[in-house]
Amino acid sequence: MGLGKYLLKRSIIALLLIFFVATLNFVIVHLTPGGPATIFLLNPHISAAGRKIVLEQFGLDKPLYVQYEIYIAGMFTGNWGTSYFYNEPAFQVVAQRIPATLLLMVPSLILTILVGGLFGIIGARKPFSFVDRFLSSFAFFFYAMPAFWLGFVLLTFFVLFLHVLPAGGMTSISGGGSVTDIFSHLFLPVVSLTLVNLANFSLLMRSSLMEVMDQNYITTAKGKGLSERLIFFRHAMRNALLPTVTMTGLFVGFLLTGAILTESVFSWPGLGLLTFDSIESRDYPIILSLFFIFSIMIIVANLITDVVYGLLDPRISYD
Amino acid sequence: MLFTAFWILGYHMTEQEQLEVGRVPSKDSAEALVQERNYLQEAFRFFRDFSRNRGALFGLVFLLVLTISAIFANYIFPGNPNTSFLVPRPLPPTLQYPFGTDDVGRNLLELVVYGARTSLTIAFVAGSILALLGTVVGLVAGYYGGLIDGGLMRTADIFLTLPTLPLILLMAALLGPSLLNIMLIIGITNWPFMARLVRSNVLSMTQREFIQIEKVMGASTRRIVFRHLFPNQFSLILVYTSLSLPLVILTEAAIEFLGLAPISISWGFLLNVSTHYWIAGAWWMSFFPGVAIFMTSLAFYLVSEGLKEVLTPTLKRKRDSLVVQLAERK
Repeated sequence: MGLGKYLLKRSIIALLLIFFVATLNFVIVHLTPGGPATIFLLNPHISAAGRKIVLEQFGLDKPLYVQYEIYIAGMFTGNWGTSYFYNEPAFQVVAQRIPATLLLMVPSLILTILVGGLFGIIGARKPFSFVDRFLSSFAFFFYAMPAFWLGFVLLTFFVLFLHVLPAGGMTSISGGGSVTDIFSHLFLPVVSLTLVNLANFSLLMRSSLMEVMDQNYITTAKGKGLSERLIFFRHAMRNALLPTVTMTGLFVGFLLTGAILTESVFSWPGLGLLTFDSIESRDYPIILSLFFIFSIMIIVANLITDVVYGLLDPRISYD
Repeated sequence: MLFTAFWILGYHMTEQEQLEVGRVPSKDSAEALVQERNYLQEAFRFFRDFSRNRGALFGLVFLLVLTISAIFANYIFPGNPNTSFLVPRPLPPTLQYPFGTDDVGRNLLELVVYGARTSLTIAFVAGSILALLGTVVGLVAGYYGGLIDGGLMRTADIFLTLPTLPLILLMAALLGPSLLNIMLIIGITNWPFMARLVRSNVLSMTQREFIQIEKVMGASTRRIVFRHLFPNQFSLILVYTSLSLPLVILTEAAIEFLGLAPISISWGFLLNVSTHYWIAGAWWMSFFPGVAIFMTSLAFYLVSEGLKEVLTPTLKRKRDSLVVQLAERK
C-alpha cells in the first residue's frame, strides 16, 4: 500500500471516529431521563399546548431514526443545539473560545517538546548520573502534582506574595489587550501546564534514546571510530524520535485535560473555563458540544501524528 | 496485599525453577518444590529488596500512615468533622490548628484526614475495577486472538482516542454525582492501558515452550489460564495497577475540584471551595489539601517504582511512566 492510500485510510478512520462520537452524544442525550427537552417538559407551568410546541421544536415527535438523522446532520453542519445559559447557538459559544485555548495549548506543547526533549537528551547522554537523576526527579515531581493545585501555588507565590503578575483572565482593563499584556497573563498558565506534562515527554525521549543506544548499529558506528557526539546526534536521535512522535497524539489528550483544569484556575477564557462554567450551570448542550470538539481535536491530532509518522519512517508498511 | 502478591508470584523461584514446575507434570516433584517454600523467609527477602529503594520505602510508610489515620479518623478527632471551632472565617495555621481553619471555621487538618478516606476508597475501588477489566480483556484478547482480539483491541483504541477527562465530566454530569458512579467512571475510562499491556504479554507468553507443551499435552484452557498465564501476569498487573493509582487520585481530585462529586469532605472539593478565598490571602485553604493530593500520588508512584524493581527485574533499568511503557509496546 502506498503513502497516498495509507493517508486516505487514516482519514476515513478519523471520520468514522468523529461519526462515532456524534452517535455517542446522541445516545447520551436520549439516555438521560426525559430526553433533551427535560427542563421544559418538567416545568409545571407549561400547558399541554406548550408541551406540544416544545416537542415539535426539538423534533421529539418524529420517530427515533429520523431524530438520529437530523442530529448527526446537525453535528456535521454546526447545528449543535442552543445553550441554556447563553441562549445562543452552542456552536457559536464554543467556537468563540477556541482561539484562547489554542493560544494556551500551542506554546505549552512547543515548550513541553523542547524542554522535555532537552531533558531526555541530557539524561540519556549519561544515564543514571547525578544530572540525569535530578532531571528525572524534577519532571516526576511535577508529574505527580494536580494541575490545578500547581496553578494555585504559582498564583499564591507570584500574585499574593510578589505582586508581579496579574491574577487571572486574558487581558487587564488598563492594558487593553496589547501583546505584552496578554503575555503577562499567559505566562503562569503556560508554565504550569508545561511543568505538569513535562515528564511524559522527557522520560519517553530518554528511554527511547537509551534503547536506541543499545542497538547493534550504534556499536558498529562506535567500532568505526566515529565520535560519540556524531553517533548520538546523527545516528541515535533520528530513530529515537519515532516513538516520541507516535505518542504526540496522546500528549495532546493529556494537554487538553491539563488545559481544562489550568484554565479554570487562571480564569483563562478558553474551552476549559467554559467546561467549568457550563458544568456549574448544568448547560448540557454546551457540555455535549465541548465533548464533541475535544474529541475532534484529539482525533485530528492523532491523524496528524499518523501522517507525520508515515512520512518520517520509511520502514512503516502502511497497513 | 503485598503479602498475597509475593506468594502467588512464587517470588523465591528463579525462572528456571518456574519453567520446571510447568514442564515437569509429575505431582511429586512439583509438590516437593512447593513444599520447600518458606513463606516467612520469602516475605523477609521481598521486603529487604523492596526497602533497598529508599523512595519506595518512604512511599509505603506514608501510605500506611495515611491509611491508618484515615481508618481511625474518628478516634483521632472525636466528634463531627463539620463542627465549627472558631469564627466562621478562614484562620491561618496556629499550633492548635496546624493547617489553619476553613471558611466556616472547621479544623483543616481534621478535614484533610477525613478527606483521605474518600480518596483512598475511590483509589482502591477504581483501581480494582480497572485492573479487573483490563486483565480479563487482555487475557481473553491475547489468548483467543483473531476476531475477538481485533474487536476488543479496537474498542480499547476508541477508549484511548476519546478525551478522558471530558468523557468523565460528561458522564458524571449526566449520571448524577454519586461515589459509585465516580469509581465506575474512572475504572471504565482507564482500563485500555492495562488491557494492552496484559494482552501483549500473554501473546508473547503463549509462544513460550512450556505453554506449547501444556497445550500439546491436552491441558484445559482453564488450567493454562489460571496455572500459567494469570500467575505469570500477576506481577505486571500489580505493578501497573499501582502505577495507575496516581492517575486515579489526580482524576478523582479533578472531578471533585470541578464540583461533580457528592462528597463534601474531600481534598478536591476543599480546593474547589478555596478558589473563592485565595485572593483574600487564605493560601492555607488550597495549600494543605493540595499537598495531600500531591504526596499521595507521589507515594503511589514511588511504591510502584519499588514494586517494579523487585517484581519485574527485566524492566529495572528504566524509570518510566505508564505512557512510556505503552509507547514501547505499541
